[in-house]
Amino acid sequence: MNLGLNPLSRKDLLLRGGVALVAIGASPTLLSACGGSGSSGSTAALSTAGGDGKVGGSIDFLSWEGYDTPDAIKPWSEQNGVKINASYIGTHDDIQAKILAADGSTGFDLTTYYQGYKPLYAELGILDALDPEKIPNIKNLFPYFQGDVGNFWVDADGTRTGVPWTFGGIGITWDDVALPGGLTSWYDLLDPKFKGKIGAVDDPTGNIALVSRILKMEPDKINRDTDLPKIKDFMSQLLAQTKGVSASYGDMTNLVVSGEAVACWMGWAAMNSFAADAGNNNVKTAIPKEGGYGFCDAFAIPITVDNPDTAYSWINNILEPKINAEVADYLVGATPVEQSVPLLGESTAALYPYEDIDAFLENIPFYNNPPIESDEFMTAKEWLETWTELKANAGS
Amino acid sequence: MPVHRYEHRTLGPFVLTLPAIVGIVLLFVAPFFTFAVYSVLTAGILPFQADVPVTLEAYKHFLSAGVNRTLARNSAWTGFFAAITTVVISLPVAFWLRYAAGSRRNLVLLLVTATIFASYLVRIYAWRSMLGQNGVLNSALISIGAIDAPLQFLLFNRFAVTIALVHIFLPYVVLLLYAALGPVSINLLEAAQDLGAGVIRRWTRVVLPLVAAPAATAFIFVFILSASDYVTPQFLGGTKGIMLGVRIQESFLKTGDWPAGAAGALTMLVAFLLLYLLVSFALRLLGLRSLRFVS
Repeated sequence: MNLGLNPLSRKDLLLRGGVALVAIGASPTLLSACGGSGSSGSTAALSTAGGDGKVGGSIDFLSWEGYDTPDAIKPWSEQNGVKINASYIGTHDDIQAKILAADGSTGFDLTTYYQGYKPLYAELGILDALDPEKIPNIKNLFPYFQGDVGNFWVDADGTRTGVPWTFGGIGITWDDVALPGGLTSWYDLLDPKFKGKIGAVDDPTGNIALVSRILKMEPDKINRDTDLPKIKDFMSQLLAQTKGVSASYGDMTNLVVSGEAVACWMGWAAMNSFAADAGNNNVKTAIPKEGGYGFCDAFAIPITVDNPDTAYSWINNILEPKINAEVADYLVGATPVEQSVPLLGESTAALYPYEDIDAFLENIPFYNNPPIESDEFMTAKEWLETWTELKANAGS
Repeated sequence: MPVHRYEHRTLGPFVLTLPAIVGIVLLFVAPFFTFAVYSVLTAGILPFQADVPVTLEAYKHFLSAGVNRTLARNSAWTGFFAAITTVVISLPVAFWLRYAAGSRRNLVLLLVTATIFASYLVRIYAWRSMLGQNGVLNSALISIGAIDAPLQFLLFNRFAVTIALVHIFLPYVVLLLYAALGPVSINLLEAAQDLGAGVIRRWTRVVLPLVAAPAATAFIFVFILSASDYVTPQFLGGTKGIMLGVRIQESFLKTGDWPAGAAGALTMLVAFLLLYLLVSFALRLLGLRSLRFVS
């Protein structure tokens, strides 16, 4: 008998739930990442390359808890005598808020950003231009991530502001026992036979971005008059298929494991791993024929930096194949480092189709966040308000 | 010296209550004024920013949004059902503890308070395990042949939220009413019995008038905490159990619209004050004592 409780510890669940939301740019409201158990223990090859040799002192790190990958970074920090002062954010917007609050003074040396925030950060001018010569391990990245089709990390003029180090994709996650073979289209989730059997997650940005992708719209160019009604219509139908909106991916995994849901809107490959940890090896994830979307986090050096060489060295170290494989295992994510693939743990390696990574990435395009201000297109605030209203009206 | 003794008597209570006063000022009064200021500011273009000009726009938007009215109704009904159920269940328990438990009193009190030590989230997840499709209740009913298929209405609705909230607040209300019955002597009940009053009459004419004020206090206590909860609805409420607290919490943490969140929180505070005044007035109208914790 499945009682709905599973062996996934609360600590792990919170960590993973937090990291899940983190990865797609949402803010976990109640479940914050708690740090904790990693899959570390390997003796990673150390790298002192990067920067110009003046590595040491202290480094002020600003990002999500867990993104400082404490176990993976430890050998590097110990070898170089680097003291890490980590400041953790509650939402992605904390990053620009804290950097802007520094008001020109020094402080944070290293941060991360989700690719959708690049246009905003470019407008605010809060990221330093990076010198690729100081990060030789960029050559370890898959060709897709060395370049930049969307100017998420490298501007059109060739100026680099970010270095991708973890990514993932969003598709449908399902229980393969209840639904052998799974679902091939997002529209399958709207089938009346699945009423009350679909899971959904409380991620405003991700939800609306995904609907816009399915409806063949550009996420950052959603017209209020012509596109928004279609988005609301699709999302209302989808929410009517659910019993509720889960607070995190970890919580949504619980619904699948306990049999409350058979398929999930906005599934994530890491849920396969969460479910396996909870004793269910039949949870699968795939990208439907309409495609999904991807998310990618990049390291960046903010304008407040006062120890740039150590920041460069950190970034370079994370792109070491063995280190990045360890990071991917820890975050249950995909590695953008080609040579890391054979070093991944078995369950992490099975999450993404590395054998044809280009086709996979083409099917999960990265996108820009909605504009902050626009007379024509929906703004970021309107996305959030739309999602809140859709969610609240779903039960009325 | 007499003068010194007098000074000690007057300063003593003040000194003793000073930590509590400081705590209330720091944890309630200061945040209240902060909220009041934020609620009349204008949300910035970027999330988590607010600035002048001063405006009542956040209040106007909060009060005019149709979705907020739906959520306010959800909050009011959930708060009402949770509060009334908790008080109705707690009163007989408190009465039994006060007058009939005898040597079992301490053990039962220990059991009642023991549930407080379980984590809030653990208790919520426990209810999901109990009420879920493959949960304890459905499994038990299927195993004894009472039902053929799992009952779907147990989880992800207002019912599930109410059950969990009653479970969470029951120990507090039992203790509150038990304390309220402390000063009520058994002699009063025995005198009523000697004068020919039956069980129902003793309850309606003696017990209830004496505990009406603390019971009303308990009702308001549970109502406010239940109606403003934003955690339980997210885990157990499904799409039908979302409440106003969730909306306010999202204003602060997701949309980053602090003026909207502050205006929502202060509007709820005013609504709760009105409820307090309404209940207080009703008690006075019925000739009962004004709201007090214990006489």
